[in-house]
Amino acid sequence: MSAARQTAAAAPVFLAEGELEALVAELAAAGAEVIGATGAAPASPAAAAAGNERGGPSLDYRVLPPGVAPRLLAGMPRLSLKGFFLPQAEALFGWRQHGADVEIERGAAATRPRVALGVKPCDAAALEIVDQVMNWDYADEPWNERRAATTVFTLACAVEDSSCFCAAVGLAPDATRGADGLLTRVTGGWLVETTTEKGAAVVAAHAERFAAAPPALVDEGAESRRAARERVAANLEIDAGSVRDWIAAHFDDPLLAALGVRCHGCGACASVCPTCHCFDIVDETEGVGRGTRRRQWDTCQTGKFTLHASGHNPRDDQHARFRQRVNHKFSIYPLRFGEVLCTGCGRCSRECHAGQDLVEILAAIDVAARRPETAAVGAADGGEA
Amino acid sequence: MSTPAIAREPRSGPTIYEPSLMTVVDLVDETVDTRTLRLEFKDEGLRESFAFKAGQFGEYSAFGAGESTFCIASPPTRAGALECTFKTVGKVTSALRELDVGDTMGFRGPYGNWFPVDDWRGKNVLFVAGGIGLAPVRCVIWNVLDRRDEFGDVTIVYGARSVGDLVYRRELEEWAGRADVTMVTTVDPGGETPEWDGRVGFVPTVLGEVAPASKDAVAVVCGPPIMIKFSFPVLDGLGFADDDVFTTLEMRMKCGVGKCGRCNIGQVYVCKDGPVFSATELKALPPEY
Repeated sequence: MSAARQTAAAAPVFLAEGELEALVAELAAAGAEVIGATGAAPASPAAAAAGNERGGPSLDYRVLPPGVAPRLLAGMPRLSLKGFFLPQAEALFGWRQHGADVEIERGAAATRPRVALGVKPCDAAALEIVDQVMNWDYADEPWNERRAATTVFTLACAVEDSSCFCAAVGLAPDATRGADGLLTRVTGGWLVETTTEKGAAVVAAHAERFAAAPPALVDEGAESRRAARERVAANLEIDAGSVRDWIAAHFDDPLLAALGVRCHGCGACASVCPTCHCFDIVDETEGVGRGTRRRQWDTCQTGKFTLHASGHNPRDDQHARFRQRVNHKFSIYPLRFGEVLCTGCGRCSRECHAGQDLVEILAAIDVAARRPETAAVGAADGGEA
Repeated sequence: MSTPAIAREPRSGPTIYEPSLMTVVDLVDETVDTRTLRLEFKDEGLRESFAFKAGQFGEYSAFGAGESTFCIASPPTRAGALECTFKTVGKVTSALRELDVGDTMGFRGPYGNWFPVDDWRGKNVLFVAGGIGLAPVRCVIWNVLDRRDEFGDVTIVYGARSVGDLVYRRELEEWAGRADVTMVTTVDPGGETPEWDGRVGFVPTVLGEVAPASKDAVAVVCGPPIMIKFSFPVLDGLGFADDDVFTTLEMRMKCGVGKCGRCNIGQVYVCKDGPVFSATELKALPPEY
């Protein structure tokens, strides 16, 4: 879990556009890996000269090489930041056979200090939400080490499109959950506010890059953030508490039992999701007598996820599997951990080739949850679940 | 520029996913496809300190194939080594079957909750098991028999598809020979051999015929889902309250520690909240097990 201590949001300072590259260089020189959203590297010198990024608009969080500044503008990175804490595939340990004996081999990988600049607030909030499951009773060391080593500065979001719904799950385009500081785009640069000691330490260590924030720019930032909050609130409004309780009491409701009608079970939604954290553990052999145990992203959307050795499958159709996705995010996790397991980033709706749309689904559940007669039925029968 | 897709190099520190190494010290073929391994920790300190309770499970590694989830089939009252019993159905169990005495495998655990055996002191205990479902029940049976004077009557109703599918044959005979155990063994109709002198009939039917008294009694039920499903109404008819009926859920698991999400049913993570549930708790879950 993040060791960062929350502090009251410090008065903003100003980072001028011209200072960003120097700041990134200084952070790197001080030994930190700097993470930021960029397009892919140019495929060739010619492409670089032409300004073409490989993969066109493929915006992703990357470890920045020297001399490259993050893109602190609008745009939703393809994947969330979670891979920097729970990699898509990660070696847990190696093993080597010596006759009848086996030796467990640990590696040398250590987590370097990292500073992430310009993270989407929905991606930062997800880290704090997933901290819960990574630390109940058993503590997941790799996750916690990476969390502790990383300082996260979010960038106040201008709201990407109609798939964004952070406000509906209790967040905001300028939320600071899971973040150590918040940047706000203003004329000529960014306002920088820190919210933890970790964030304040970064600003203090590179104080020369920052200036006092002119009051006019502070007003400009406040106004753009207010406008963004208003825009995203218009995308979806639900009562997350009613949705949570209604799902728990209506497991067999036709609305929940038919959710998978469009779903192909590809699991793309889980890949792009900042809060989906399910994983598999597999052995990869390397020649004879040695190998690596890895964990890798998995998803409840495949049939294999719950398939028993006997052939029995507790969730044997896509409706059941998609219901599990919605149930886990909006009812199970909130009831177990007190948090909605969704930050409203909208990636699952944008990426789904079958057109599954969480905004649409949540709106429908919210309508059912608010309907007095269904609420009464749920209460009267004590819940069907 | 790199996205963090694959972390190829293992970290330098340990993780909760790293197993302890164990040596296979004995093996017993229970049926043509079911084997029991007796395992001993390589680490002497762990051999001394390892403790668990009846009903807990572990993640067993066959290096190169991966991990599988089984209950600990031996009782906590017999320390020093632990046993697991598995049917060869997939990659990991096939690899575990390749192991010989002296070979090394891995173990993580004990995980999950346990049967509330201490709460049953003074009560009659009924065990109902089918097929390889006897493995977790066997752990509780021996736990109770090793503390025999703390409990009342002990009744065991055990069945399998056929005579060849009965596991722990030597122990079935031992239990049948004890004056302080009522042992009923049955095979499904058509599964008997000419020499078979036990009962013929499905476990729930035989359970109804044996009709153990429910007064001051608890029941432990484990077996295929269909057997559990049909045994519950029989127990209900005999007067067993749902709070006094216990079972253990078999779910596909990976981490065993409440992280990987696989065994989640409704608000329950079977690996942490289970695998042992009372019938009351089980009936409150969505039917996704």
